[in-house]
Amino acid sequence: MDIDDILRELDEDAEPSNSKDYDELLKWWLNERAAPEILEYQDGLVERIMTRVRRQIEHIEDQTGNLDPKANFHLIIVQTELERIKFLVRSYLRTRISKIDKHALHILSTPSLRQSLSATEQTYLKSHQALLNELYLASFLKTFPETLRRLDDSAGGIKMVEEPDLESAVFLRVMKDVEVDIPWEAGEAIAMRRGDVYVIRYEAVREAVKNGDVELI
Amino acid sequence: MYGELGNKLVIHAKRTQALNLLPAYQTDIVRAVTREVRDLNQDIHEITNSYQGDFNPSADPAAACALLVHHLCVRRNKRCLLAYHRVRAEKIEHMCWNGMDAMEQVQAGRVGMEGEEDASAAAGTPAHALSPEEDEYARQYGDMLAAYKGHWTDIDLTGSLEPPKDLFIDVRVLKDAGEIQTEYGAITLSKNSQFFVRQGDVERLIKQGFLQKLS
Repeated sequence: MDIDDILRELDEDAEPSNSKDYDELLKWWLNERAAPEILEYQDGLVERIMTRVRRQIEHIEDQTGNLDPKANFHLIIVQTELERIKFLVRSYLRTRISKIDKHALHILSTPSLRQSLSATEQTYLKSHQALLNELYLASFLKTFPETLRRLDDSAGGIKMVEEPDLESAVFLRVMKDVEVDIPWEAGEAIAMRRGDVYVIRYEAVREAVKNGDVELI
Repeated sequence: MYGELGNKLVIHAKRTQALNLLPAYQTDIVRAVTREVRDLNQDIHEITNSYQGDFNPSADPAAACALLVHHLCVRRNKRCLLAYHRVRAEKIEHMCWNGMDAMEQVQAGRVGMEGEEDASAAAGTPAHALSPEEDEYARQYGDMLAAYKGHWTDIDLTGSLEPPKDLFIDVRVLKDAGEIQTEYGAITLSKNSQFFVRQGDVERLIKQGFLQKLS
């Protein structure tokens, strides 16, 4: 065991501190943006960050009356940081919403994917689909024969449900030493070392992304 | 010919994708395509009924072929209709996210179209770019979005998706926007004046076209 290993262990056991949460948010934001499918909603993380955001907003409101030039400079830094965090959370949520809209029917029909949405996202997904359905029905589907009204049939060899392309390539950085099996070349596995950068099919590293062993870049 | 009208809708949808505004709803074509679907379905029923249930495709290839073509056409028309409505629905959603009033867009659309050589616009037919169903959809989607956004009031989900660089920015006022309240007091935004303000305070106004960001 050399010094790197000891440092690594320390890294992993650390408490979720402010800056660690920020790094986590950054990581999951990047993951979400790079992954073709929707990932697990980071409930606890977003919750912690939001509590801090609210605290900072209160702090800023308290301090705005303060005329001390030092306090003012301090405030500007706090506000800039706040804007940046807000941007991250906003972009994170918007990315998820755009994925939800894109693969709505696929997510609805796959229980495991549905579980990875937050409660509000689930409500959004359901009511959005209901609205869309209503629009199609009112616009033209109501005049169609009963058998043709479905939105998710796959007759004629073309599926109507859009699915994420899990075969697409992603760039990733390895955070922990892992072995990745390449599914169709039986038994083949590549050992990924911490710090390495790969381009690989998303499907092959799907689990590793979810565990946090690798992060997408 | 079968499917020709459906194709027209797809072309309209394609054109809509490239436009900033929503062109008028093609009520006539949509109606014609749905009529075509109904007629084809009628035909399918007549053909299958005339065989009284003991239809053998290999014994009567002509009828089998007719059925197949009818079916394919019906499905294709459905896909065309779905694609057309989907593109428009996405446009409407986009407008909702941008905080633009759908009605305002229609107004802007009409003004914009006057210059175009669009025959239907010249005749003054598009009284309304959205169909009544789409109007309803826009309203309900807006409500739903507001509900979802309500959970994230501190974040302002509809805010800018550009990473923020500076807390304060220079803006020029393009249209009179009246007085706004900021933490540093009230500012009167009159046309052609220039301000150094906090980005978060004026983001909405930039989006709505009252202010221009100077870099």
